[in-house]
Amino acid sequence: MILQIIWTSITSSSYYILFAVSFALVLKVTKIWNFAQPGFMTTAFYMMYWATNNLSLPIPLSLSIALIITILASWAVDKYAFGALRRMKSGGFTFFIFTLIFSEFVAYLFTLLFGTEPFTVFPNIFSPVIPVGGIVVSYWDLRAVTITGILLAGLYAFLRWSKPGRFLIAVSNNDRLAELYGISSRQAYTLSMVLAGILCTFGMYILGTKIAVHTHLSLSLILFAVAATVMGGIGNVFSAAMAAVFLSLLQGFSVLIIPSRWQNLLLYFFFFMVIITMPSGFLSFVRTMKGRRE
Amino acid sequence: MEFIYSTLIMIGLYIILASSFDLILGHGGLISIAHPIFVALGAYASALLSMHFGIPIVLSILLGAVFAAIASIGLALASLRVSGDYLLIASIGFQLGILQVIKNVDFTGGPSGLSDIPSLIEGTARSLSYLIVVVAVALAVVLLIRWIVKGDYGRAITGMRDDEIALTALGRNSMSIKITIFALGCGLAGLAGGLYAHYFLYLTPEQFEIIESAAILTMVVVGGMKSTWGPVIGALLIVALPQSIKFLDLPPSINAPLQGLLYTALVMFFLFARPQGLVGAKAAHSGRTKHTKGNESAGPRRDKNG
Repeated sequence: MILQIIWTSITSSSYYILFAVSFALVLKVTKIWNFAQPGFMTTAFYMMYWATNNLSLPIPLSLSIALIITILASWAVDKYAFGALRRMKSGGFTFFIFTLIFSEFVAYLFTLLFGTEPFTVFPNIFSPVIPVGGIVVSYWDLRAVTITGILLAGLYAFLRWSKPGRFLIAVSNNDRLAELYGISSRQAYTLSMVLAGILCTFGMYILGTKIAVHTHLSLSLILFAVAATVMGGIGNVFSAAMAAVFLSLLQGFSVLIIPSRWQNLLLYFFFFMVIITMPSGFLSFVRTMKGRRE
Repeated sequence: MEFIYSTLIMIGLYIILASSFDLILGHGGLISIAHPIFVALGAYASALLSMHFGIPIVLSILLGAVFAAIASIGLALASLRVSGDYLLIASIGFQLGILQVIKNVDFTGGPSGLSDIPSLIEGTARSLSYLIVVVAVALAVVLLIRWIVKGDYGRAITGMRDDEIALTALGRNSMSIKITIFALGCGLAGLAGGLYAHYFLYLTPEQFEIIESAAILTMVVVGGMKSTWGPVIGALLIVALPQSIKFLDLPPSINAPLQGLLYTALVMFFLFARPQGLVGAKAAHSGRTKHTKGNESAGPRRDKNG
């Protein structure tokens, strides 16, 4: 039973990982708490749903359409909205308001177009299962873990070994110094938003093939990503992924002790306590304590 | 006519909320967006006290406000450890955590909400009488906040917002100022919550979600922070304008999202066209000056609050 909980928690964390990494990446590079991300997530899902169900396109094509539109949306938000706010020297709080309102705008727009009824990408979400060593593994589980693994490995390789990836890290560490070395911080901001758009689209594909999505769901999902980002330590992209897995496991195991309806309270309690007591992140805190002991 | 009265009552309640929120956010510089949860605490406390303990409604509303003020200490203590973006994010956790408790305990009615709340005013002229009460309370709140921020204590609040270290060096206790601002602002939010509960007679946790935070926040921003009349105008505009399309008699499936679109578009327009708000102090919100124009390379400006 414990192994099953671990497996289910890990597979369920797959889309949370992508949302958390996407959120943490934008925060690291642009220093913006990007609450516009739910807007991109909603756009990605509904474009995919529309292309699959209304245009009867195969999923690779639907996914491509969703990817293009989401990337365009994230690029446009960065260029026209964030760019304008930067020119106006707006504070972080103004960015926060804009991003939150933008996501609401997108949610209302899709409510107008598709209604309030929740949808899944495919009409049928049944996924065949296979028993593996006493654990029930579904095809959806395997697909979710594979996609997430490939995307994370790709992102890691991109940030570590590609030139634009290294520029991204340079800008996130010190944008003014990076500018002196001829690196365009403007382009780095846009690139981080585009990468976030890609991760969100795949995250919504994984999510939308398992549970029904409605127009305001992304706004709730982003809070998990924020919690993981905070716990992982702000500015540490891959720690956010680890924190997402940890939170998912915590929620999974909590059902053994407390009723499932209290799971979210546990999440918010952890979230609140970590930011108050360890603003640099739970994982950074653990590392610091370990370092001190050594 | 009932619809107009309800809309005007909502405007009055939002004036209380926006003005009290501006005290915390604008004047105090404490970036928290958990204001709706104190509305919820005031509303639920007041409703439950009057329903189960037979306490007179007026006293229940006042006790609800006191309860919200006491609960604000949790967030005020958080503000002693973190500020700026961190406090903002912590306030989201605080709000959603308490909302989860409200959703999961039985005596609040859980997710399905609390009904059969007794009405403060009965009779044929109920809505008109309630409107008069709400307008009077809203006016009193606006004038109270104006009186506080224009006086000696207001200068201490400004000092705490602009330079906490300097204020402490002058012998003022910034910790007590923060706790007082939170208690007063959140207590007034609780008062608005009590008034809401005993007029609409039904409460559900969904009414106090993050979207509600965004609504109150935008009233302050659109109207203008740190001004007496800014939040009043913001509340008026943000509540009244989207309601105006109700007269087009569109089906509810179109009307509700269209109202949302109108409201969000309006906020985005103001954020770019008039970031300091309609009545706000100039350059309070942005630095649109000769020196700053055209510089696009930096990220968000990191002011004292992050």
